[in-house]
Amino acid sequence: MSWWLLFKNEVKLQAFDMRQYWFETVASLVVLCGMFVALFYGVKSFAFEGGVGQSLDGLVFGFLLWAFASAAYMSVTRTVVDDTQKGYIEQLFINPKGFTAILFVKTMVELLSALLFMTLMAYLVMWLTGNWLDINFLRFFLVLIIAAPSLIGLGLFVSGFALVFKRVDTIGHMLALALMALVALDGLPFGPLSFLPFTPGVSLARDWVLQHSNLNLSDVLIVIANSAIYFAIGSVVFKHFEKVAKRKNLIGQY
Amino acid sequence: MLAVESIGKHYSGKAALQSVSFGIQPGEIVALLGANGSGKTTTINSICNLIDFELGDIRFEGISIRKDKSYLAQIGAVLGGSRNINWRLTASQNAQYFAALRGHHGKALKARIAELEDQLGLAQYAKLEVLKLSTGNKQKASLLSALSYSPKLLLLDEPTLGLDFKTVGDLQQIILEQSQQHQQGYLITSHDMSFIDKICQKVVVIDQGQVIFNGSIESLKQKLFAYRMVINLPVQDHLSVSKSIEELCFGHYHIEQTQEGFNIQYETPDQVLALLSWLHTSNKTIGDLTMTELSMEEAYKSLTTGDKEV
Repeated sequence: MSWWLLFKNEVKLQAFDMRQYWFETVASLVVLCGMFVALFYGVKSFAFEGGVGQSLDGLVFGFLLWAFASAAYMSVTRTVVDDTQKGYIEQLFINPKGFTAILFVKTMVELLSALLFMTLMAYLVMWLTGNWLDINFLRFFLVLIIAAPSLIGLGLFVSGFALVFKRVDTIGHMLALALMALVALDGLPFGPLSFLPFTPGVSLARDWVLQHSNLNLSDVLIVIANSAIYFAIGSVVFKHFEKVAKRKNLIGQY
Repeated sequence: MLAVESIGKHYSGKAALQSVSFGIQPGEIVALLGANGSGKTTTINSICNLIDFELGDIRFEGISIRKDKSYLAQIGAVLGGSRNINWRLTASQNAQYFAALRGHHGKALKARIAELEDQLGLAQYAKLEVLKLSTGNKQKASLLSALSYSPKLLLLDEPTLGLDFKTVGDLQQIILEQSQQHQQGYLITSHDMSFIDKICQKVVVIDQGQVIFNGSIESLKQKLFAYRMVINLPVQDHLSVSKSIEELCFGHYHIEQTQEGFNIQYETPDQVLALLSWLHTSNKTIGDLTMTELSMEEAYKSLTTGDKEV
């Protein structure tokens, strides 16, 4: 069985879901953008002279980064937590490819759709606010793709706990808030903040994509290292809890 | 096809399964019976690779499932206490999804799903999300997903739970047809004894994690008590009657003394004839005397509870 078939299968599943529940998709997009636009004008009315344009650009860009970061983080937790609540995660384990393979493919599909939605949202928000940014989307995607594994690692970490302890909503909510802080911090140049997940990627995106500075190879390496470390930690924790869940018969028992 | 070989499993020091062994052949419908917490679900989950069992092995077509997970493509499971499928989608969307996880796709799959939808009586609800279906049809939708990729072995945990009489009948029909047409093996747990009685050729009874019976449904019936006699009479007569029962009844039987009198379970009617005759000649005042044929469920309870009570 090919990976391509698995991939197509997950895309089809998402398409079915979106077609049947298009209102949910549209409504969440509208609410999210609406809230941001309100925030944008709120900030604009407070901001006075000096670098106002810059900070507003930063606000819009930060919002896009946050939207992507939440989607990337949730790409994993959605599978484990939602599919447990929806009551068919067991069936994903009863599979010759193994649950991890399914999780991997699902995560890839979620990430791609996150990129798509973020681009859509970018144009929507820029149009609504009249604040047009000069973003090179190809660069933006590249940075996000190398920075995303850190968020996936975070998602795997929380999902591992979810497999065994089930109710991890609170941690989930807290992390969603923490992501707002993460996209506001500077993980570059190298310093203590570089050790937080995703922060180097945020800085790289801001410098290279928004402010069009030159690309620095060492910065790219820091982003990759950050991703690799968080992804590795997340994977180990998830694998451990998967074993515990199988030993204690906890898979699916929601 | 499937061989469960002395598997053992412990939860925090307590044995959940102890040396459980049985087998399933192609086309065979096997019932797995047992009280709640006896280890039925743990057994099914072990076969599904949802649980790591500690001892023994399970072989699918001769190959240990510890080593090779490819057998999971041949397992269809409708688990108990789980929705099994995505209720936000329609039955056939679910079936397409779960079949694709095992490499099935294209026109052949769609044709098979449509055929199954017809057989299961789901065709008229094809456009509805599973969420909007009745309990019985939800169960059938789960079954549709499990059957869609024509697995060699189906595991159904409590498939009749919450279903009405007619739907249970439909389900019997479908399982019998499928197992005969496609030589599929079935392992079914259920509390519905008449359901089991009608479709299963073999029964495995498990109690406190151990197999206490493994054989044909007929031989299980033979092993169980077939009748129960209840005699109610004044307390002052209890002692003499008790003695007489022990003197006059022969063969394999079981007495239970109650406040009103006695419950006797036995295998054949002639075992109690002498006792009846003695009751008649000794002129005891009998408050109540009933003799009933036990249903399989009642009889089976006496097997699991041993000699304690009925």
